[in-house]
Amino acid sequence: MGSIKAWNFLRGYVIIRIEGLTLERFLNLASSKDIYLWDINRIDYTTLEMKVSIRGFRELKEIVKKVGCRVELVEKRGLPFIIYELRQRKMLGFGFVVFFALIFYLSSLIWHIEVVGNESVSTDEILTTLEKENIKRGIIKYRVDKDYIEYTLLNKYDIFSYLSVNVEGTKLTIEVKERDLPPEIVDKDSPCNIVARKKGVIEKVIARNGKVAVKKGDVVQKGQVLITGIISDEYSDYRMYVHAEGEVLARTSYSCKVEEPIVKTVKTETGEVYKRYELKIRDKGIQFIQGDIPFDDYIENVREVKVFNVNLDLPIKVFVHEYKEVQSEKIKQDVELLKKSNHIKAVENINKQLPANAKIESKDVKHYIKDNKVITYVVIEVIEDIGEKQILN
Amino acid sequence: MDNKMSNFKYNISEALELPKDLILDLPKIVIIGNIQINISNHKGIIEYTQEVLRVNSNIGIIKISGTNMELKTILSEEIIVKGNIEKVEIIN
Repeated sequence: MGSIKAWNFLRGYVIIRIEGLTLERFLNLASSKDIYLWDINRIDYTTLEMKVSIRGFRELKEIVKKVGCRVELVEKRGLPFIIYELRQRKMLGFGFVVFFALIFYLSSLIWHIEVVGNESVSTDEILTTLEKENIKRGIIKYRVDKDYIEYTLLNKYDIFSYLSVNVEGTKLTIEVKERDLPPEIVDKDSPCNIVARKKGVIEKVIARNGKVAVKKGDVVQKGQVLITGIISDEYSDYRMYVHAEGEVLARTSYSCKVEEPIVKTVKTETGEVYKRYELKIRDKGIQFIQGDIPFDDYIENVREVKVFNVNLDLPIKVFVHEYKEVQSEKIKQDVELLKKSNHIKAVENINKQLPANAKIESKDVKHYIKDNKVITYVVIEVIEDIGEKQILN
Repeated sequence: MDNKMSNFKYNISEALELPKDLILDLPKIVIIGNIQINISNHKGIIEYTQEVLRVNSNIGIIKISGTNMELKTILSEEIIVKGNIEKVEIIN
């Protein structure tokens, strides 16, 4: 039954009302002429309401003349009438076309460039490089020459060993693999000095090549020559240039100072949040204020509301100012505990700076209490190789 | 003569098990519960209101009484009536 209804809808039909005295004759004539009538209903003694297809309606005219009754069109239904009506509304159709054209146009732009896998070269740097080649946000994606991008980037940055460029929808993804650059090797044949990398007290000098310039106990400054590659004779002007090599072990010190107040104010959030919205057009902002902030003490947190969760630099931005209520509490901390924690912090800090092959000689820890603060100095003395090759010109 | 002919037809349809409504040109009335009646092989509508429908046929006038009756379809072979049907009479 539903399929017949759907078919009638597609073909289109009209609801008509017929007024007359010999309506049965009208029905018989219509059926004998094979005009399909359905849902015939008697409204009153002289009126019938029925549905008839568009073609049937035209054929009915002859019968109406013969029977002598009046026909009134009540309603037009179905797809042909809808199409006809839509055809009258040209702007609607125009809007439809514009809509699809806009969708197509906007989806053929690059909206977002993503760089994946870069470590030593920053994403911004890569993006500026690409911008110089006119590859930026807002270009048409069909014009992106992937090979050209790969070629440009690989040429510019030696560190990239592999590069792939992909366009997924409106996102341009540049995948990068960086290679580990080998450390700069000083040519074994070129003459060089060994100089101090940092300040220290010499403990031991082992020269494999070249002449030792310092002795044990010397205090050397940064840049001072430790093993020289220039070997000269006292009796002649002749100078021999060699490639100095060797280890210079020196005592160096690392220090760290950590301060921590004894009485500390700790801010804890109470969970009460007050929100304020701001609309920003370029640099001008409008804040929507609903009364004052109901807290005395609060932390302000500004967050941008992002459309579709995409990083887009749109001219209109919506910000949410979140004010979180906090309660300040003063906590007096145990001095001994503070000393311990300061000590650990300082040692951790120093450990980060220490080279891998350093040997710790001594550790000196001093605590002071001043201005309601625990100040901890930690000095660690280590023995490490401070030699560094410097090419002679 | 006419009677003889129809008798003959009746006998044949009996013997060959052919549908009698086709052989004898009789109306076929199908009643579905009390909500719908299909009448095929009719000879036109005589009267139609929401309460009474009279249909001409070879065996006389078929009178259907009820309430809220609506003609769902009218074709040259078949009439479908929907509504609350109370009575079906054949008036010879």
